[in-house]
Amino acid sequence: MLSIKELKKTYPSGVQALKGISLEIPSGMFGLLGPNGAGKTTLMKIAATLLDPDSGIVELEGVDFIADKNAARRMLGYLPQEFGLYPTLTAEQTLNYLAKLKGVIEVKERKALIDALLERVNLSSARKQKVGGFSGGMRQRLGIAQALMGQPKLIIVDEPTAGLDPEERVRFHNLISEIASENTVVILSTHIVSDVSNLCERMAIMRKGEIIASCTPQEAISQITGAVWEADLPREKVSALKKSRLKIVSTQMFEGRVRVRVYSKVERPGEEFSPATPSLEDYYFSVAGQSESVN
Amino acid sequence: MRNPAHTTFGAIFQTEVLLNSKRVAPYLMALLFGGNAFLWWGWGPAESRGLAVNSEGFIAGMLPVFSFMTLPLFTALIMCDPVIRDFRTGIAPLIFSKPVSRAAYLLGKFTGNFFVLVCCQMVFPLTFMLLQGFRRPNMIVQPVSVLPYFKHFLLLVVISHLALAAFHFTVGTLTRNAKIVYGLAASFYPLYITYQVVLLKKLPPRWRSFLDPLLMNFLNVHSQERSAEQLNQLAVSYSADAIANRALMILIAAVCLAILYVRFSMNESDDERQITTVNLAASADWLDAGAESFSFAQAIRTEELTRGNAVVIPKVGATTEGVRAHLKQLVAALGIELRLLAAERSLVVLVPLATLLCVVGMAAYEAVPDGSYTAVYATRTAESLLLFLVAIAVFYTGEAMHRDRELRVEPVLWSAPAPNFVMLLSKFSATLLLSICFSLLVCLTAIALQLIRGHTPLEISAYLTTYSLVLLPSMVFLIAAATALNVLLRDKYLAYAVSFAIGIGLFYLYNQGYNDRLYNPVLYGLWTPSDLTGEAGSLSQLITHRIYCLAVATLFFSLANLFFERKATKGLRSNGRLSSTGWAILIMLLSTVIALIAGLMINIRM
Repeated sequence: MLSIKELKKTYPSGVQALKGISLEIPSGMFGLLGPNGAGKTTLMKIAATLLDPDSGIVELEGVDFIADKNAARRMLGYLPQEFGLYPTLTAEQTLNYLAKLKGVIEVKERKALIDALLERVNLSSARKQKVGGFSGGMRQRLGIAQALMGQPKLIIVDEPTAGLDPEERVRFHNLISEIASENTVVILSTHIVSDVSNLCERMAIMRKGEIIASCTPQEAISQITGAVWEADLPREKVSALKKSRLKIVSTQMFEGRVRVRVYSKVERPGEEFSPATPSLEDYYFSVAGQSESVN
Repeated sequence: MRNPAHTTFGAIFQTEVLLNSKRVAPYLMALLFGGNAFLWWGWGPAESRGLAVNSEGFIAGMLPVFSFMTLPLFTALIMCDPVIRDFRTGIAPLIFSKPVSRAAYLLGKFTGNFFVLVCCQMVFPLTFMLLQGFRRPNMIVQPVSVLPYFKHFLLLVVISHLALAAFHFTVGTLTRNAKIVYGLAASFYPLYITYQVVLLKKLPPRWRSFLDPLLMNFLNVHSQERSAEQLNQLAVSYSADAIANRALMILIAAVCLAILYVRFSMNESDDERQITTVNLAASADWLDAGAESFSFAQAIRTEELTRGNAVVIPKVGATTEGVRAHLKQLVAALGIELRLLAAERSLVVLVPLATLLCVVGMAAYEAVPDGSYTAVYATRTAESLLLFLVAIAVFYTGEAMHRDRELRVEPVLWSAPAPNFVMLLSKFSATLLLSICFSLLVCLTAIALQLIRGHTPLEISAYLTTYSLVLLPSMVFLIAAATALNVLLRDKYLAYAVSFAIGIGLFYLYNQGYNDRLYNPVLYGLWTPSDLTGEAGSLSQLITHRIYCLAVATLFFSLANLFFERKATKGLRSNGRLSSTGWAILIMLLSTVIALIAGLMINIRM
């Protein structure tokens, strides 16, 4: 269980990125959702020992991630949101180097590990190719491979599917689900809601440096069951709807009309509206919208 | 006619000035030039020679010297990377997709940066001009004048710098490698001095004036040919040769820019694609795979679909504690650093050129030495090497220290369980190995030259002693100091500028006679071959000094380890053992004690 307690971080510019966050993250996949600027990356960087918080605790299996960074790094697999690789090294040389830094000293073990990882991320054929010539997706897959090295107890993946094509995305989902086990905590930070609903056993939503919701995806959906309504409306009606007190969850163009989903717990919002099957995306928008109106 | 400020050229020019206004280097340069002018005003040659500090003769005499002192390195600092920066930051495709002509782009970049360079240099004559209102005892000051400062600055400084600025800008833009420009800048002094000594000196005065890019012989204040009285009354005019020289400089600048215009392409080539992969962020999707990569990726997919995907990731043992594990990590990191260093294209130019320059003085050497030929060869090459070793320490340490951040590899590397000293020591050792290899190359070239010229007997031990006792500790010191500076300042270009300022300041002090062993760790001008043989009984003192130098280097390295930006385990102890922070403090204290003892011993013996 990864324990995060009262984590606060304010940048020198005055931006308060984390306002006393507390989370208990059990083994398995944990999704962290939130819009840009919510503080997800700051939280990830602190958990990945790259940033010191102003106060608070991050602890896994008795190891204090703030005080004992070397011990923490032994347990860590990290795929940052933005990262680079040495362009003149091949995929194999890159993994070999990072494996050595992770302490995989035995040559045979290291070779077997690199072979398996390259196979799993589908880069075996490109192992001798220089990373500088890789496409965005190939680089991302190599990044995923390095994060999985050396049986990490905590895997932090920050926006991992950005730049991946649909096929690669599915492959990544399968791979990461396999890795997440009873002994491994996987934190998936993303703003792609479907990634969380597909993969995660638990999730939290962040906004403006705070946790505004923490539950399982099923609990989240059950909370809004019967309260989501949908209608296909002409554009002019949507403008009027936006001015009303109704809480619009999402709008999307559909065959020349606007498909509107609204959240209304007490009554049917109008005759055009029919009940809709709720999704995690509806929950996300309703919670984020609530928080916004409170703010 | 359109207002030039509203053209694309004007927009690029203004943006370059704006970008430079947010850099530290131009301000530091201006400060340095102002300080330099202040020193020359109060403590320069004017007072000792009885010259008026604002006479036209003195102004026109000192400006070529100022040009010589500031020309190559500061010009390189401003002019080498305006276009490289656009590619590095990834803004180039955004600019090139707008209706901007190649000429407007290049000319806007060049003039914008050259304007900034001239503004910085302008501080020198402006300071002098303002100081006319003050006087020190015994200082001769003539009635206030303004025009000579601007006229001679334009003709003697701006035009001299224009040609080299155009050359640096052209090389930097076409190679997209700032280090090549810095390498050329570093080799300017030896090249120029050799050109003066070997070629210009033998020519008649007319040709000497026409072919000297800095017009150093135009009006020499230090020359004894004119009396102080004559110089104070001198109304400086430019001869036809001097004007032809200036016209030639402008022509050279124009030719450089014309070559650049012809060779520069705004279309992305395969080669550029390689360079732009420096920005490896996943979000940098403009760096998509080409047609070839696409088919390659498709082939992989097809292959994968037929093969299946049930490979199990094996469990492996990981050891990150203990000397053996750290040594393995260090060797791995050093291997990568060396590999990255070997990929530096600047080395292809810098190393052969520097090697040539280090031994070129020996090629003309004819005199029979009192001691041995080998001692003379070893000493002279070691002295020439020092400048290049400083340049290597500053530039390649800077590159190594900031490369991970520029390539965005830092978050991946820094989350690995390797201690900070592994990261730092690998970069330090890679630069040290480069310096050693370079010195070895110079040494072997000198030996070959010595044998070819029949200056025997060859004594290998003399080379070994000179290089290992004088150069090696200096290299260690220089690289450790550069490492600490880069860690503390956290900005590569700021570190370069501060290194230049410190280097030039110390060089000035040493040459003014303030040359003490305690603040001259590289022993510049403080050793002779007899010190190494122990003939003068000073070998032990030299060894003590080298211990002092290494202790200070260790102190710098520990400081770098302590203030390294990567977060380390907090506290002095971790799991009952000394933490890396604890080790850094312990080593820092020990090295301080050793440096103090060695320093005291040096002082007592003196």
